[in-house]
Amino acid sequence: MSSNKILVTYTSSPAFLSTDHWKQVHAALLCQFPLRTLHWKSPSRANIETIPQVDVNLVPLESLRDEHTSQIPQSLLDKPLLNVYFVVCDDNDTYKNTVRKQIRDWHASVSQLRPDGKIGQGRMFQMKASVLDKIKADLNADKKDRCIQVAWSTDYENPAAWAELINKFKEGILSAFDSAFTQREEEVKRSEGQRHMPGWNFCTFFILKESLATSFEAMSLCEEALQHYNDLEASFFRVLREKNLTWFGALIAPGSEDDSTPLLSVSKKPYRDLILANSISIFDFRVYLLARQCALLSKLSRVIEVCRKAVAFLSGFGRRLRELEGTIPLFFVESWTYSSALSVVEQVDTWANDVKMGKPALARFSAVKGELLELAQQQLDIIGIRVGHLPSRPPFSIALPAPTPESTEAQEPPPGKISRTELLSAIDDKEAFFDLYVQIINRAIELYAAAGRRKFALKLHGNLAALDLYVASYMSTFCSQSACRALTVHTSAEKARDEEWIHIVLDFLRTYVEDMGKELLMDVDDQLSYVVGLVTSLIEAARGLQADLLHPDHPALSLTIADKAVRLAESQDGALLDVIVRNRLPCDLSVDEVIAVLVGYEGAQLTFSTDATTLNPGNNKVTLFCSSSTAGVFALQASQVKISKLTFEWKDARLLTATKNLKLKDVPTLVRIPKDIRALDVRIRPPQRSMLWVLITFEVGVPAKIMVALHTGRNDIVSAQIMLSSPSGVQFHFSEAKLDGDGSAQLEINEDALTVSSVEADSVVVISLPHSDASSYHTLRINAALEYTTVSEPDITRRLGFARFVATSLPMTVNVEDFFRGTRLFTRFTLSTSSHQHVRIRSAHLETSREDEDNVKVTGCHAQQPSVVSGKFIFQLDSARGQAGDPLRLRITYRMLREEVESLIDVSMAAIVAETPHLLPHRDLLIDKVVDALSSDAKWIELYGITGELVVPDIVEEEGDIGDGLRRLNAILAKKRPGDYPFGEWREIIIPVDVPRMHILAAAHLRVTPNPWVSPQAKNASLPLFAGQPISAVVSVTTSFHWAPLEDEKPQGCLLRYDIEDMTGDWLVSGCKRSDFQAEDGSTFTMPVTLIALHHGELSLPKIAINALPTQGGPRMGSSSVPSCETYQMHGAEKVLVLPRGGRSLDNLPSETQHLLSEIRSGYSAARDPVQKANEIIRNSIAIPELPATPAASSGPPQKKRKTMPVASAGSIKLPSPAPMSAAPSYGTGQRSRVHTRQSPLRSRRVTESAGPDIDEDAEGEDDLEEGMDDSGDAEDKRLYCFCQKLSYGEMIACDNADCRYQWFHLPCVNLKPPLPENWFCEDCISRMKGTSSTLPWSMLVLEQRCDGVASADRFILRGYRARAFERVPDHALQQLELVTSESPPW
Amino acid sequence: MPPPALRLNAVAFVSPHNHPILIRTFAQPRADELKYHYIAHTSLDVVEERIAAANAAKSTECYLSLLYTMEDVAVYGYVTPLRVKIIIALALTDTVVRDADVITIFRALHTAYRLSVANPFLKANTPLEGVNDHTAMLNAGSAKWKGFRRRVDEVGRALAGVTTSSSSSTQFH
Repeated sequence: MSSNKILVTYTSSPAFLSTDHWKQVHAALLCQFPLRTLHWKSPSRANIETIPQVDVNLVPLESLRDEHTSQIPQSLLDKPLLNVYFVVCDDNDTYKNTVRKQIRDWHASVSQLRPDGKIGQGRMFQMKASVLDKIKADLNADKKDRCIQVAWSTDYENPAAWAELINKFKEGILSAFDSAFTQREEEVKRSEGQRHMPGWNFCTFFILKESLATSFEAMSLCEEALQHYNDLEASFFRVLREKNLTWFGALIAPGSEDDSTPLLSVSKKPYRDLILANSISIFDFRVYLLARQCALLSKLSRVIEVCRKAVAFLSGFGRRLRELEGTIPLFFVESWTYSSALSVVEQVDTWANDVKMGKPALARFSAVKGELLELAQQQLDIIGIRVGHLPSRPPFSIALPAPTPESTEAQEPPPGKISRTELLSAIDDKEAFFDLYVQIINRAIELYAAAGRRKFALKLHGNLAALDLYVASYMSTFCSQSACRALTVHTSAEKARDEEWIHIVLDFLRTYVEDMGKELLMDVDDQLSYVVGLVTSLIEAARGLQADLLHPDHPALSLTIADKAVRLAESQDGALLDVIVRNRLPCDLSVDEVIAVLVGYEGAQLTFSTDATTLNPGNNKVTLFCSSSTAGVFALQASQVKISKLTFEWKDARLLTATKNLKLKDVPTLVRIPKDIRALDVRIRPPQRSMLWVLITFEVGVPAKIMVALHTGRNDIVSAQIMLSSPSGVQFHFSEAKLDGDGSAQLEINEDALTVSSVEADSVVVISLPHSDASSYHTLRINAALEYTTVSEPDITRRLGFARFVATSLPMTVNVEDFFRGTRLFTRFTLSTSSHQHVRIRSAHLETSREDEDNVKVTGCHAQQPSVVSGKFIFQLDSARGQAGDPLRLRITYRMLREEVESLIDVSMAAIVAETPHLLPHRDLLIDKVVDALSSDAKWIELYGITGELVVPDIVEEEGDIGDGLRRLNAILAKKRPGDYPFGEWREIIIPVDVPRMHILAAAHLRVTPNPWVSPQAKNASLPLFAGQPISAVVSVTTSFHWAPLEDEKPQGCLLRYDIEDMTGDWLVSGCKRSDFQAEDGSTFTMPVTLIALHHGELSLPKIAINALPTQGGPRMGSSSVPSCETYQMHGAEKVLVLPRGGRSLDNLPSETQHLLSEIRSGYSAARDPVQKANEIIRNSIAIPELPATPAASSGPPQKKRKTMPVASAGSIKLPSPAPMSAAPSYGTGQRSRVHTRQSPLRSRRVTESAGPDIDEDAEGEDDLEEGMDDSGDAEDKRLYCFCQKLSYGEMIACDNADCRYQWFHLPCVNLKPPLPENWFCEDCISRMKGTSSTLPWSMLVLEQRCDGVASADRFILRGYRARAFERVPDHALQQLELVTSESPPW
Repeated sequence: MPPPALRLNAVAFVSPHNHPILIRTFAQPRADELKYHYIAHTSLDVVEERIAAANAAKSTECYLSLLYTMEDVAVYGYVTPLRVKIIIALALTDTVVRDADVITIFRALHTAYRLSVANPFLKANTPLEGVNDHTAMLNAGSAKWKGFRRRVDEVGRALAGVTTSSSSSTQFH
């Protein structure tokens, strides 16, 4: 084979060669090698190849002479690329004579030897320039300078001295190589082109082409070389596909050591010779090719690729070899693959020593090495299975190649043996095999771990585990799934079937039912029986368990509620729940218990269960029973299936999430348990008779209590334990509990529970149980826990837990009102219900305490019928002086209407049952139905409350006994019960009531008298009163100290102040409106005042307020300086009739009043503001201390319109209202005031005149005239009005447009007659609105309309206008307009 | 020697979280299924390596080329843009397998997967919680939904029926 050195020959004259000089020169020259950094620029190639380093083999020319006999294309470097001739010549003569000849001879011989080879340089050694020139002239034939002078120096290691020579060397070598390469490449192409010609030999081609590759390799151009090999490989496959394999020998001719030689050695066989001899086997050829490629790759430091190639080759070609299994030695392929893989790993490890690799590359390197080792391991698998060391089961059998159709067993085992010693020993010796196996796997695992390939490592770990298992127990069953495998491991380890085993089995069953299982049990022959057997042994194992074992959420079983309505177990207390248990196992499963736990309101839990049952595969309907059921809505919280001590449990996750965020979708399954009326029940109620303890002093010590009633229902109770507790902290005094009534029951009292024993069915045991004060609570919540056993089922202890609420507060409220009248006191108690419950009040009595019987006499006003809900009771108290401070007691007999109705139904039912005993079993049912019907609708209450007829609404008709019973019950209930309710129990409550105290009782009286001088005692004359006229009246206050508390000394008198209430709308009060006076017991104080009614009608007289003033000179009335004072308005209900003042009737007035009035009238004419005037006069005359600021502000309805009829609707009565009234609107909007101040007096008077005919029609004309002449105001108004432009006369109407140019119109002129419209526009304004509207103040108009309320007529106008002038309306006005129109109703 | 055909032995679809979506074998002996479970499982290591390498190189190439060879199969990998891994096991041949052919197979399988997982009913009965849960894609491979299997089987059948590109057009460089 070619070395990697470039061959360079040297020649010189023999004389020189023998000198010491030559030796020196030779040594110096060798020091320059290898040549570095050659740049090869070939014309046939695109880019410059840089050859980093090339070594030179300097040989004498003679040594090559006889070698080149072979026709085989060698590497291009086998022949010298460069010939060198050394000349030492000093003078021209010598050169001319001898040296030139020698050079020429040399040149000729070299040229002949290699015509294409380069002529080496002549070389002048220490010679003069002239000689060099001559040599150059002689030899440089083709313009290439081939001669170089070397200046010899002793420092031969100096590169500078040789630089020129070395450059020439490089140049020469490259040029020679280039030409050689070009030539060779041509040859290769030619050969390749002849591929399809007969006689073409791949081997020849291969050698030819390989020579190129080796040349490149020698030139350190490994990439190029590798490319050529890859091309060769491709060509090989192509040829292979074309089946043109005649030039190859057999596919393989296995040699004795073939299977164990290192794969990547290119020298293990004389491959080249074999190729040249056309006798190489494909096997060898491929191996050679791979080895060459890998060698090149290693030079390129691509060790990872080496491994990858090796793996692919080994597995790929190994597969090919297997096709020939019959002809090659047993296990040859396995052995070859195995040793090759290992040898590759070794080889690459040595190669990789020089290679620096980054972390990822290192990982990849490890990974591929791992793959190689795994490949080796797989070979072991195959061998192991074949030999019988390993079972033919996964995971070992995975590596097993697919079985070939023809069996190899029939054939004779082919001759030959494998040579790998460790394999040979492993085949014979099981232990050695296992050792080897483990070793290889461990190595692989290590590598995979280094590479970070977890899953690969895991798989190999699996193999190891399987091997351990196999080695340990020679198990025959392997299952890939971990659960299954663990199961078998457990079985094989012959461990006890304990808890751990159960867990494994359950895990296995879990995977089995989750549909993956069937696939994974593929190597169990009879899957069904296997699983069934497993389940059977599981149950057995469960029986042997020591402790309970809870297994959550196993998918093999599941429990769902079949029926949301729970049935009642009719024969006994309890409820039945239907559930569906789904069994996903393929076999029956006998379970000991199926349990469903329901959870209800406030954490109440019910456990439904059933006894041993067998669950078939698929859905099973199971009925669960709960012995102690509480009615209500429950949700499934958890379900359990028990097999002996093994418990499967499922919790309803939805229930947990539902409390947080309830979605409609996730509502947990709800079931409803109906109320069992025949079941045992405990009812708790307040006692029949109660007191308001807080206030009562002499009955403290009788604690509050509740009544606990135990209704046995259908049960004969052996014993029942009742535990009560209240979350509010109220304590029950169990030790003081007492049985109420008689019966066979026995009561046992514990610390915290009541135990009742031997109670018969259908009986009620009532226990009264005292408790601590609970009056601060409205209702008392009592949690009751009940445990009981019945005679029929003594072994079942039933438990009930429920909450009961007992109302501790009064169901009604009591309001007290006291009315003092002298020595009498009327006390009114108003009772009303305080809850939504109706209350029946039978009676109320006010009782005195014994000591006070003489002092206080109580008289009930009248007896009342028992009434529903509310009652008013008035009592009259007559007391002598010196009554004691003892409170009275109000005793109320009442009951809740519900209780009453219930007892009514009970009584009625009892009557029915007495008549027809066969209805007895239905008794409770009937009652229940009626109660249900009553509570569903409240409309019967009203009728019942009045007449006592209880008409049960909407009761469902039924057949049979029940229907019959219902009808009869209804008939009884619907009977009239006039006033008496003898049935049922009444409750009583006693409320202490204090007798009220009052220091001073004042009776104020305002009497109207005919004249101020009438004595107060005189009888009230019914004289006519007129509005505006002074009315004399007398204020009288009678004081009494009768109700003053005893402990206070008798007051001698005290200072009181009376104050007449201002009724500014009705009365003017003149005189002593407020005054102080000294009051004494029984004395009367009087004071005359004058009243003026401001308008006519029925008026109530002003009230008089009386206050006690602080007494001067220290406290005299007890401790408080201001005594309490109560005023009684004796005239509170009186009203006086005030007549309207007529024109004529003025004459009848007393002269003083007439005078006053005339003053007022003259004031009209004199002043613009008559109100002021009037006030002035009044103030002057009567000296009223305080005048109402705006006497007219609240006098009657404000006059909206300027028109003259404030009460136009009244029609018949044209009120002669005094002038101040009509002036009132002038305080309104400014807009109006302008008009009014100018015109109001005028018009109002006119109206007065026109109203005159109501009183005296005949006088109208004269009056009008007369008044007109008299009225100086009239003369003032000279303005012209109306379209007719005349003076104002008669009734007039104003245009509602404030800017109207006419303002006022005579009715005849505008064709109007009374009654007048509320809003009116004159024709002129209407027409102007229709046309240009620029002058119209829009906002004003709108505002006015809003104030007045829009009448339909002008709304129409407004609308019309709006429609036309829409664009010109300012925005704000439009908004207001919108407001207006939207406020008014549609029209 | 018959012209080498790509023989598809098994296909595995693996979710981004390495849950197997579907593993389908076309080799005859049923027991091989386990082997391909193994292969699919171990391939994930290599797939991860390749993905990491591809990420480092900022490559968006889906095709991960030959992952490794094992005994008689060559395992190829492909990762969809949504990180679903498709792993196929081709019967190992002693010839050169062109990447283009393998990519074609992967494309077909990817399409099959896309079509199947686009089925809106896959999510019909699953709870709404979780935006990025993979129930739909896992469901696609479950026994309940046959469409996916059918499509994958079609790909397998098509491959068995057709040899790779005819030899005349095969070019080596």
